[in-house]
This record gives sequence, structure tokens and C-alpha cells, in this order.
Amino acid sequence: MIQLRGVSKTFDGGTSYAVKDLSFQVEAGETVVLLGSSGCGKTTTLKMINRLVEPTHGHIEVGGEDVMNQDPALLRRRIGYVFQGIGLFPHMTIEQNVGLVPRLLGWSARKRGERVRELLRLVGLAPEDYADRFSEALSGGQQQRVGVARALAADPAYLLMDEPFGALDALTREALQQELLGLKKKLEKTIIFVTHDIFEALLLGDRIVILHQGNVQQIGTKKEILSAPATPFVRDLFGKPAKQLADFKDILK
Amino acid sequence: MSAEPWITFVSDHLSELWIRTGEHLILTGFSTISALLIGVPLGILIFRNSWLRGPALGGVGILQTIPSLAMLVFLLALLQKIGVLPAVIALTLYALLPIVRNTFTGLTGVSPQVMEAAKGIGMTEGQQLRMVRLPLATPVIVAGIRTAAVVSVGIATLSAFIGAGGLGQFINRGLALYNTRLILLGAVPAAMLALLVDFAIGSFEWGLRPVRKQDKPGSARAIIRPVALMMPLLLIVIGLFAYFTQPSLGTRPASVSNGGTVTVATKNFTEQLILGELMAQVLEAKTDLNVIRRFNLGGSMICHGALMNGEIDLYAEYTGTGLTAILKAPVIADPEKAFYYVKAAYRKQYDAEWLRPFGFNNTYAITVRTQDAKQYGWHTISDLKEAAPGLKAGFTAEFAERPDGYPGLSKAYGFEFGGIRDLDPSLMYEAVSKGEVDVICAFATDGRIAAYRLTPLKDDLQFFPPYHAAPVVREAVLAEHPEVEQALSLLEGILDDQTMQQLNFEVDAKKRDAGRVASEFLKKKGVI
Repeated sequence: MIQLRGVSKTFDGGTSYAVKDLSFQVEAGETVVLLGSSGCGKTTTLKMINRLVEPTHGHIEVGGEDVMNQDPALLRRRIGYVFQGIGLFPHMTIEQNVGLVPRLLGWSARKRGERVRELLRLVGLAPEDYADRFSEALSGGQQQRVGVARALAADPAYLLMDEPFGALDALTREALQQELLGLKKKLEKTIIFVTHDIFEALLLGDRIVILHQGNVQQIGTKKEILSAPATPFVRDLFGKPAKQLADFKDILK
Repeated sequence: MSAEPWITFVSDHLSELWIRTGEHLILTGFSTISALLIGVPLGILIFRNSWLRGPALGGVGILQTIPSLAMLVFLLALLQKIGVLPAVIALTLYALLPIVRNTFTGLTGVSPQVMEAAKGIGMTEGQQLRMVRLPLATPVIVAGIRTAAVVSVGIATLSAFIGAGGLGQFINRGLALYNTRLILLGAVPAAMLALLVDFAIGSFEWGLRPVRKQDKPGSARAIIRPVALMMPLLLIVIGLFAYFTQPSLGTRPASVSNGGTVTVATKNFTEQLILGELMAQVLEAKTDLNVIRRFNLGGSMICHGALMNGEIDLYAEYTGTGLTAILKAPVIADPEKAFYYVKAAYRKQYDAEWLRPFGFNNTYAITVRTQDAKQYGWHTISDLKEAAPGLKAGFTAEFAERPDGYPGLSKAYGFEFGGIRDLDPSLMYEAVSKGEVDVICAFATDGRIAAYRLTPLKDDLQFFPPYHAAPVVREAVLAEHPEVEQALSLLEGILDDQTMQQLNFEVDAKKRDAGRVASEFLKKKGVI
């Protein structure tokens, strides 16, 4: 379980807030999507959960314990993180990249090797073809699969994903989204997923947190949000793609 | 210019070339390694502590701007030692800037996305540095080491100036003897060595790169990789091997005067080399002592300093130099009085003994082209008075500064020359003969006075102190080996001005070997 209570973050001493008075809770095994346009505070929120950024006010609990009372390095090893820019280490092979967190946790080489092969197969990369390669030899989609495998390596209970599929083409993105849905059922992780893509949010989220300029607009299931948008911003946000879809159908006629 | 063909010249010097190359590699190798051991941690330190950046980068930058010779002489004074140690320290200080700067730049240049990932997956600060930052910065750091090593090869040629050996020894000797071949014998291998060092570190960097999938065990790359990694080490091993295979030629700090060795030194010009050979050969012929030659040290102060530290046992000094430059005493015009003054003062202050002089007086001689002397009727220095403002003078830097040099001369004679150019002693004679300057401060016994058709003018006011050369020996050596004094006494009064000029001429103009010229002379005189 991940819980945020009254969390605020300012980078300029209080003149403006990247995140303001944010509270929500993610139950074990649940996937919550943080949805909003760029600059709305969703990435900052994600980074506060594993202490890459520290909150100015409020409390964040992971597994029932305040993150500020935990050693940051140990905390981060318990939370899988998929980075927006992927961030694979260019001087390490795919095997070394995926096996890194287990290595930091002191797993034996043999156990690491088995785990890496298992995970590469899980994300659809044949270990015998990819394990010894370097990330530069992989396509963007393949790199992101490795990024997901790396986040899952030490079998963390929590997974934070920061626009993992944002930079991919539409076809690859859709394939990876479908695979993530499959993984979600199989792995039973507690996931927080950040995106600006409404369809992605509707597809993946058990619940959706809509953020705008650091403030929460609405928290709820897709049904709740679509049937009863809480603010004009939410209504516009979901109205726009529907209108675009209608326009698109017009063109096809 | 010389009778000897190139091939014979090089093959004659082959064994020495081998050992000098070895010394050069050792100077470069050890200084680069110590710069690496200091520079990389310093680079990491300033990366982590931003307040240190300005001072540290500024500091190593300033080191870089100190002229190499000034740095060597400064370290010499500080360490009270000649030889390899001050040279390696100087080279290390020069090598710091590229290594520190590249380490810092390399660490800073790692992509922030990669570093955020390193932090985000749970690496500690130390792990981020060790597992991610340093490996990714390595190519840039190695590039800095490469620059440092190549620059070191160049600067190491100057180390010969303070007796550290290396290929600079040939260059120094070539400059002293005005022998282009000797200069090239040092300069060309030094340039090739620079390319070799560059290549070796380049291969090392290639060998460090991550193993690619195509580098399967057994492939050509997999075999070359360890070889490439070993290249710099190989060069150092070759250097050490060369250094220790021919110890008789080496310039290691000798364990002085115990176990029956005596170390003879010289300054870096022709006459000194001949005198050094004369003394060394007499000692070899008449005593059982093992003679070590540490020739071509870069000047009076370096020789004197080395004598005081016991790193050398004897060298030939000139009374005038001892009097004014070393003892800082006023000029004494009378040769006998001057000699006894320095003898007494050295005994009292330096525990060193002046033996009887060789005979000739190598004083400064204000010298002009013979053609000009005839045309204008110049015989004495006073004759120049009227023409002086229109004359260009070429002086050695030492002469231009010393109280018994130009400053005193112009005061005593009451005139100044129109312009002064600082010239190297080895270039002075040619410069005046070609008309680039009109007057030089020649040495009275220099063979090139005759060779370049020059005329020394008479010092009619007896301004210049006498410069009679004599062996100066540490008292401890004389006490332990009285035979040294006996042997050297055979050289007393053996050379007059003309004879010295003739010997200098043989070496300077005819490009003959100083050792051979000295042994011929000693045999002719029946000394050995």
C-alpha cells in the first residue's frame, strides 16, 4: 500500500507549487494512473515516493512506513522504477543492466543469471539473443522492455512507471500496453503509472488521479470520471478526444 | 659538415641511444603514473566539492604556465638534488592539468538521465561513482592521460639539463657542441617516442572498452584486447630493461666516493666537456677508482649545488666564476690573488678544495668581426666607445645580468650598446659572423673565435676578472683518496690559451668526439 497525505512540493520557497496538498491511496495490487499535461506535477509526485525528490509538506507512506524514516538507497531497491528516459547504463550489457538491483542486494551470480533470463523472456526478449548486447544495439521499444525488466528484477511489491511508453511509436506503444496489462494480472504489483495519454490512462488504470497545475481535479475509476466529471477541466479533457474522434470519422467519409 | 656518414654516426651511438631512450621512457612513465595517482582522485574530489574547483583547477593551471627550465631549477633549489627526482616531480606537476581537468569534465559529462536511473534504482553515492560515473568517464580521463604522457615526452628532453638523462642529453650535448647531428639524434627519437606513447595509451583505451558481442572468445579482437591493454606497461618494462642493461652509462645518483668510485661532472659547453674528459681519463689511468661521468649539467649553480650535496665529487670551475657568481665577492684583477682568495673561501665555507689551475685563462672577451676590427681600427674595448650606440650586442643571458658582465662593463667603460639581444652561447658566434649582431661576449679560449673569423678586443681597463680553470674537489674525497690529487696534479699548467682554443676548435668546428680529442692530447703530452 502507498499512501500520500497532504503532500506539497515547492522548488522556489513557496512562490509556486509543483504539487499542492495531494492525498490519495493506492491499495495493494491496484494500478493508479496519474494523468495530466506536462508540468502538472505528476513526475514530481512519483519521484517523491522513492525520495528522488523530497516533499516540502505532508507524509508519504510505503508499506505502512514513512519514507522519510527509511534509508533512501534501501527504499529505492524495494521499489521498481521505470524511467521516462529509460536510463539504461550504456557500459553494461542487457544482462548486467537487468541484474543490477539483485547485484546491489547481494544475490549470487547464479540466482541473478536465472532471474535475468526469466525476466527477459517475460518482456518478450530472447535471452540468448539479447543478454550479451549493449543498449545501443536495441530499438527504443526493446530498450523500454529492458527498462521494465530491470524494474521488476528484484521482484519489488511496488512499481513506479514514469511515461514509460511516451517516446514510442503508436504500434509499439500499443503492443507494450497490452503486454503490461498481461503482466499486471500475472504479477499482482502495486503500480503507479504516470502518463499524459488519456487512452493509456483509461486502458491501464484501475483508478485515475487527474492533476492540473499541481492540484488534484478528480480521483476515481474511469466510470466515475466519465459519467460525472468533477470540474470543467476534467470535462474538457475527456471531451476533446471524443470530438477529435468524431472529426476523424468525418474525414474518412 | 662532418666526415662521418650518418650510418656510422648512429651505429656508434646506438648503445647510448638505447639507454637514453630507456631513461626517457622511465621519466615519462613514472611521472605520468604519479600524475595519474594524484590527478584522478583530485578530479573526483573537485567533482564532489564544488568550492575546491576554482582553487584546484587554477592551481594546476598555474603550474602549467611555469616555464619548464624555471620549474626544474626551482625544484633543484628546493630539493637540493640533481637528477631523476626533481625531473620526475616537474614532469608530474606538468601532467596534472590535463588529467585533473579531463577527470572532472568526464565525470560532469555523464548523462543526467543515466545518473537519475543509477540513483533511482537504489545505488549509494559511492556505488553511483564507482559503477556508473567513473566507467562512463573513462574514455575522457584516458584522453587526458594520453595528452599528459605525450607532453611529458617533450618536456622530459629538458631533464638532461639537471642531469636526469634521457634523450635530451643528446640535444643538450648537440647544443653545447653546436652539433646538429647530436641534436637530431635526441630530437628524432623523442618525436617517435611521443607517437609511440600516444599509440600505446590509445590502444589501452581501446582495450578498456566494454566487450562487444562480436568479441567472442577466440576471435581476433578477443586476442588483441589484452595485448592492447598491456601496451603502456610494455613500454615501461622496455624502459626499465634498457635502464638496467648498461649501468656503466647510466646517470643514477651514484653512491659517491665509497667503494672506490669518483664522479666527475661538467657544465654544458665544449671546453667543460674536454676538461671533464681530461680529468676523468687521468683518474682512470693513474688510479684504481671507478670514474662516473655526469656531464652536461646546466650551469655553474647546478654543478656547485651538486658538489655541495655530494652528488658529484669534482668538476672544473673558473676562478672568476667562483669569485663573483658563487662567493658573491668583488672582482680581484690579479690572477694569483684571485686564486688564493677562492681557495681559502671554498675551504672555509664549502669543504671543497681548489687544485692547481690548468693554465689557460678563459675570460670573457668582447669580440667583433675581424673585418670590422680592421676597417674601423678597433683594438681595445675602449675603441668601441664612439660606435657603441649604433652597435647591436648579442650576450648570453648570464653575461647580461652578472655584475662582472655587461652591467659592470658599461659602467667601467662608460658606454652602452644600442641594443642587446639575449643569445644562447652556442648561437652567439654564428649570429655575429652572419651580421645579426655586431658584438658578442665570447669566451677567450673558444675555438669558434678562429673558426668564424672573429677578433677579441683587448680589455684595456682590466675590467674582467681572471677566469683560470682548475679542478674543484670535495675535501672528503681528497681525504679518502689522496691519489685523486696526485693524478690531477699532472694536469697543472698543461694548457695555455692557444692550446685550449685549439682543442675547442677540434671539437666545435671539426665535430670530433671530446673524449678522443682529450685522450690524443694526453698521450701527446705523455701524461697517459
